[in-house]
Amino acid sequence: MHLGLDDDELVACVSCGLCLPHCPTFVITGSDTESPRGRIALMRAVQNEGAPVTEDLIRSMETCVQCRGCETACPSAVPFGHLMEGTRAALADAGRITPRWQRLALRMLRHRRLLLAGSTLLALAIRLRLVPTKRLGLPARMPLRRPRLRTSGDDVWLFTGCVMDAWQRDVHLAVQRVLEAAGAGVEPTGGVAPCCGALHIHAGLESETKAMARQVMAGLSGDDRPILVDAAGCGASLKDYGHLLGTDEARAFSDRVYDVHEWLAERLDELQSRRPVAPLKLTVAVQDPCHLRHVQRAHHAVPAVLLPFVAEVVALDDDGLCCGAGGAYSVMEPELSRAIRERKTAAVVRSGASVVASANPGCSLHLAAAGLEVRHPLELVDQALSASRS
Amino acid sequence: MSRTLVAATRRVLGSRRRGDRAAASPPAGAGDAALVADLVEAIGSDRVRADTASRYLASRDASIYREGNAGPVCYPGSTSDVVACVQVAARHGRAVSPRGAGTGLAGGAAPLGQPVVLAMTRMDKLLGVDLDNGVAWVQPGMVNLDLSRALAPHGVHYAPDPSSQAACTIGGNVANNSGGPHCLAYGVTSAHVVAVEVVLSDGSVVTLGDLTAEPAGYDLRGAFVGSEGMCGIATAVAVRLTRNPPAVRTMLLCFDDVSDAAATVSAIIAAGIVPAAIEMMDQRCVTAVEDFAQAGYPKDAAAVLLVEVDGPAGGVAIASEKVAGIARRNQAISVRTAADEDERARLWKGRKSAFGAVANVMPDYYLHDTVVPRTRLVEVLERIYEIVDRYDLIVLNVFHAGDGNLHPILAYDSRVPGTDERVHAAGREIIEMSLDMGGALTGEHGIGVEKREHMNRMFSAVDLDQQSRLRASFDPHCRMNPGKVLPSAHSCSDIGALRAADAAGVWG
Repeated sequence: MHLGLDDDELVACVSCGLCLPHCPTFVITGSDTESPRGRIALMRAVQNEGAPVTEDLIRSMETCVQCRGCETACPSAVPFGHLMEGTRAALADAGRITPRWQRLALRMLRHRRLLLAGSTLLALAIRLRLVPTKRLGLPARMPLRRPRLRTSGDDVWLFTGCVMDAWQRDVHLAVQRVLEAAGAGVEPTGGVAPCCGALHIHAGLESETKAMARQVMAGLSGDDRPILVDAAGCGASLKDYGHLLGTDEARAFSDRVYDVHEWLAERLDELQSRRPVAPLKLTVAVQDPCHLRHVQRAHHAVPAVLLPFVAEVVALDDDGLCCGAGGAYSVMEPELSRAIRERKTAAVVRSGASVVASANPGCSLHLAAAGLEVRHPLELVDQALSASRS
Repeated sequence: MSRTLVAATRRVLGSRRRGDRAAASPPAGAGDAALVADLVEAIGSDRVRADTASRYLASRDASIYREGNAGPVCYPGSTSDVVACVQVAARHGRAVSPRGAGTGLAGGAAPLGQPVVLAMTRMDKLLGVDLDNGVAWVQPGMVNLDLSRALAPHGVHYAPDPSSQAACTIGGNVANNSGGPHCLAYGVTSAHVVAVEVVLSDGSVVTLGDLTAEPAGYDLRGAFVGSEGMCGIATAVAVRLTRNPPAVRTMLLCFDDVSDAAATVSAIIAAGIVPAAIEMMDQRCVTAVEDFAQAGYPKDAAAVLLVEVDGPAGGVAIASEKVAGIARRNQAISVRTAADEDERARLWKGRKSAFGAVANVMPDYYLHDTVVPRTRLVEVLERIYEIVDRYDLIVLNVFHAGDGNLHPILAYDSRVPGTDERVHAAGREIIEMSLDMGGALTGEHGIGVEKREHMNRMFSAVDLDQQSRLRASFDPHCRMNPGKVLPSAHSCSDIGALRAADAAGVWG
């Protein structure tokens, strides 16, 4: 089976193994089948040597969290994320992964009203204890009503996305208040750009993702306002449109995308100059979402933005190893996902912090489900700002 | 996990029914159902994998050797698991090959003849730290760097630091008697392994060496370290703890000419200075690693030396002044001292990612590991460049200059027809030239299968027979990692243990 992978990208791995300790699944199972190096060797076996696509080989691909921690560890800069996305696209096209029910569920993310209504129903079902939240890794409580999104100006877009807008709109509003405190007029994207397609590309639905990318780009065209993103996974996905679509227009679009912390780190003076702010009396551990650290490589901005607003910021000592959330991964691979999370929660406990700051909704839901107190970094900043306002 | 096993078993059984090739020669893995069942019964279903993907990947390491052929892969969690696996394998007449992180560069972990593979990665615990005796007991699957990190709160570390230390395991280090940049001053693995708990081929457990300074009897521990898995499976290792030096200074010396760099190395040693490490990289190597490491290596220098001195602060200051002076007298174009720990870490990151960075130049590489007398470094390097030019290949040189341990990396693209042959011919010439210069076949990567046939060039028939007998005294049936190190003519008894491997490989 030809996986459609770029031959030059595929041969770029020399099997040195320096990726192994940075792969969340390898450190759990200790097996090469759950390692970046091994997965690449299997891709090669299939594409170049005609090896059969066995169920075990598919498992090896499906167990990948797509955290891309291997990419920052790789001295030869192997683009593992692209190879894995390409492999999954080929497997999905052949009907070997991502069954129909998953495709239907993912399709729903594009339909904002349906998603919002479905989320309200789910929230209701959770209140009525009709849903085993723990087993499904769902939050113990979800909002029944959402405060309205509002536009305060036209300096920047705030990308609101799909699930995060339905489940964590509070975070968007907190982020917006922080941006406004830094002097920016904010327009939330809302229905203009319903979903970035990150989960779709991870599931191998490439043509669908491309259609969604075009939809998002069309919705946000017409000006060159910066597009700020408060979800690391969405930010990474939007920044990859240039590669995904391969057009000048897409590349120009991707250049407008910033993680919100990345953008704020350049404007800390504006944020602090308005009035003195008393830092929250909290020791905060910063959890680096993989798609902020390994893909966008913008994770240093989070502690930089957080530092003036809390008593102490501590780094975790686990080399930025994934937490196991991985978008839909925590639902699809609950066993491995939880084993990976245990290492992260142990690192949090070692850090002595009382609160974890996570700049990605998937990670934050996943870690909160383990009983940790998790906040978006800018929720904490917003809290400090509003405390000094009152 | 049990589902994986069920699927695996189904595959093994299913593959029997498949196709006419199966009729001609039994596909790899077929007929292993009874073996797999016994292994599962012995250590549990979540510790045994027999599917093709697992076996395919357990058949290879970081070398270019691709003829390995693994049987079922086991992930023992304890010494008794290892004993059980070895006993089951023996009952089925099968060999056993151990495997760490698979970062070896000589095919030492590539299993021959479908043995039971023991992947030691889940035995990765630090068993205990004994500061009074200056040792720590560790399981063999513990990653080298993880060990030093775990020891850091005690102000000690494990000294041997192979370039792959972020991934390679202590067990693999013991098997290969691995070195590393800091072995110049501190010695290689065998100087840091005090005792080893070993499972022998009959399933008995012995401890070689002990914690006393002068153990009685022959040094069997010394014979075991570096035996590449052929004398038994290490299940616990007592490593020596090394106090962290009070002061460290790391310098980057850059040169316009490789021979000036080599002359500097000799002059430093001649001056009576013993740096913790002296590493050399040539221009091509620097270019390959700099983009990743961002260490500030100058891409226009013909060669750089990374020199580290450590010890009491006063001595470090004096030694580093002397090193800088020697470098300048040997036409160094720049001398830079790492200002802080971060800069020091980046300088080392560049050096230690050299092999992995080769794909920035070419997609494949073939590496040698010869040791030559330090006094002949310049001559040897010139010969290497000459050989490589003649074969129209690219070489990156990165090596432990302080002890003359070369790592010429032949970078190539195996997709270009005829390249493999040129690479092997050039490799052979490099080895022969190194031996002619009074050198040795391998410094630290082991012989494995890659360098096996060169043993005849280095040792006489008598030498090799004695080595074979030493091995047989540990493993009379030659069931432990058979087919490695000794050239085939001297390892006849191994052949019995090597099942005729299916040419189709694990995919059957």
